Amino acid sequence: MIKIFERRTRIAMNRVKKKKSPFIYKSYSKKPKHKWLRKRNAQEQRFKRTGVFCILIAFFFLASLVWNIFSNGYSAFTEAQINLPVEFQAELIEDDAYRKIIQNSLLELFPGIEDRKEKRELFSLISRNAPHILEKIVEEDPTVIGRKSMVWIPASSAVSIFYKQHLYEQAKRSGKISTSQVAWVTDLARTQNMRLKFNATFFKNGDSREAEQAGVLASTIGSFMTILVCIAMAFPLGVATAIYLEEFARKSWFTDFIEININNLAAVPSIIFGLLGLSIYLNIFGLPRSSSLVGGMVLALLILPVIVIATRNALQAVPPSIRYAAAALGATPTQVVFHHTLIYALPGIMTGVILSIARAFGETAPLLMIGMVAFIADVPKTFTDPATTLPVQVYLWANNPELGFVEKTAAAIMVLLTFMVLINLLAIYIRRRFEIKW
Amino acid sequence: MVKNMNAEKKKTENVAECGLENIRMKTQNLSVFYNNDQALHDINLDIACNKVTALIGPSGCGKSTFMRCLNRMNDYVEGCRVTGKVRLDGFNIYKDNVDTILLRQKVGMVFQKPNPFPKSIYENVAYGPKIHHLIENKDELDALVEKTLKRVGLWDEVADRLSAPGTSLSGGQQQRLCIARAIATKPEVVLMDEPCSALDPIATARIEELIAELEQKFTIVIITHSMQQAERVSDHTAFFHMGHIIEAGDTQKIFNDPEHQKTKDYIGGKFG
Ligand SMILES: Nc1ncnc2c1ncn2[C@@H]1O[C@H](COP(=O)(O)OP(=O)(O)OP(=O)(O)O)[C@@H](O)[C@H]1O
Ligand SMILES: [Mg+2]
Repeated sequence: MIKIFERRTRIAMNRVKKKKSPFIYKSYSKKPKHKWLRKRNAQEQRFKRTGVFCILIAFFFLASLVWNIFSNGYSAFTEAQINLPVEFQAELIEDDAYRKIIQNSLLELFPGIEDRKEKRELFSLISRNAPHILEKIVEEDPTVIGRKSMVWIPASSAVSIFYKQHLYEQAKRSGKISTSQVAWVTDLARTQNMRLKFNATFFKNGDSREAEQAGVLASTIGSFMTILVCIAMAFPLGVATAIYLEEFARKSWFTDFIEININNLAAVPSIIFGLLGLSIYLNIFGLPRSSSLVGGMVLALLILPVIVIATRNALQAVPPSIRYAAAALGATPTQVVFHHTLIYALPGIMTGVILSIARAFGETAPLLMIGMVAFIADVPKTFTDPATTLPVQVYLWANNPELGFVEKTAAAIMVLLTFMVLINLLAIYIRRRFEIKW
Repeated sequence: MVKNMNAEKKKTENVAECGLENIRMKTQNLSVFYNNDQALHDINLDIACNKVTALIGPSGCGKSTFMRCLNRMNDYVEGCRVTGKVRLDGFNIYKDNVDTILLRQKVGMVFQKPNPFPKSIYENVAYGPKIHHLIENKDELDALVEKTLKRVGLWDEVADRLSAPGTSLSGGQQQRLCIARAIATKPEVVLMDEPCSALDPIATARIEELIAELEQKFTIVIITHSMQQAERVSDHTAFFHMGHIIEAGDTQKIFNDPEHQKTKDYIGGKFG
């Protein structure tokens, strides 16, 4: 009796299983029969395609930016040089008349030029720095005096650009370079008396009025000194503030008030921090204008709220159970923070700090307010020396209409972007390497 | 300061005369509120010296809350308010002048959820002894770590990777690591919140052996959802229900001849 019953139920159950249900499919085809399934699949596809489309658009803008900068700037890393037969005449050297020596050798290359205007055009083939180069050669090796030798001398900025980019027609038409100059350069190029060399000057010099002599060394060092001051001030202040607010302060309306203010500060336009620095650091404290010290202190104000927020987020990401574990072992609140919470939050804190430093590195507006926009040709030696930074240098050169500064601007941007990429890579490395998985 | 010294004196007295039914910890009219919800109602419970006290009861009845009162871990819970008294060796630990740091070294705790530090396994065990200066040198520390890990039956599994992070262990291994971490600090009272919830029968047996071993010297409070375990390891049992103690007393008595119907039902598996 019971057995029969059991069998019946089994059969009944089998029947239930065999009954067709819309949720059980015989095949796993990508083109299902049910309309709602097709709709679902289409939805998935649509979402994926939208994402890819957005990324392509972003990538297009990035690529055109990079291409634009690169095509304008790559030529700044080379300079054109002219091979000159220089006669180191003793009496001219005694008179310090190096300019005369250059002029003589140019006239020797292209004899028969009498017209004053033509002469001036001929002399301006060569960089104005040429006499200094000769002076240096003589200083280093006095035995050249009285002899004649071939010397590679940098061409002037206009000639250099003309030669590098082969814009004969364009240059002629724009009047930057004259017809006879074009003829000379073509001649020099044909006889292999012109060459392109790596432009070490760009990395060895500070700013200059002459495009072919302008370099990024002073502004790069200025940038790093400014950032150093900025880190030294913002890092301890920001991290200590965040630790106190997150780990020690009792939650009250006052801490809420502080939190709201910090969040607001992070959104304040950067130029306002420049004005603040101007009125406090320069006018009240009387710190030296346009120095990397003041620049760093202004940038520190700028990134302080960002560091506080990043640090608090990193601290919040440490599970409370870890704090309880340490406290239950009899660790004091300070020990809990410095042996545990802070250590585990450090990768997150470092990532935040580095990213905010990248922001400070590229900041221009507040530095204009405290006078770092002045023309500074010398490399700053101390933190109180007048200095400028890379982005400010870019700003200065971009405002210079001279043809030679266009490529310098783009090249300086390339240097700036290289540092940015390095900083961001460092942030990624730290996150990958030290991140703690809970 | 004076009061602390008094407490010290009282404690030594207590330990000296620590007899069979000596009371190590005692709660008096202990009530706990989370914001405005009362989680514990007027709990009066004695915890005997060098005995194992088991806390049993259905989920959410307030066992963990009660346990956190014993070493003031409730101080860390936001919105938690405690009234009444908890005495350790006769001294009310909820007085204002109590050094909770010293208290927590004396009253160690194993949490319900394993929470190892993301430091190395070695560091996990060594941390407590280090901050309390319980060891003199590195060799002593090495020996202590090894001994402690052996006691919780974890040594064989981790001996060759002591520098791996504690969080890389399996759930059950983490639980044993947390027990090791708690007892390495040499507490006098050990609070264990479901120490065997993620352990296999062999590891559970090891922990129960450990509890029996610790019982010689320490006072142990253990929360468990396994009636068999409570019966096996404990000397006294307290049955919690909805924030009240329904019944507390000798384990044999509670399990064999409970006075209350609720206790009988719970132990018999009728609810909870
Ligand atoms: N942090 C908290 N905030 C608010 N309420 C809480 C908090 N912790 C516990 N409670 C409440 O207190 C009551 C007792 O919780 P408790 O964690 O002590 O239960 P338990 O007996 O340990 O349960 P289990 O066996 O599931 O661990 C529960 O109703 C819970 O909702
Ligand atoms: Mg619990």
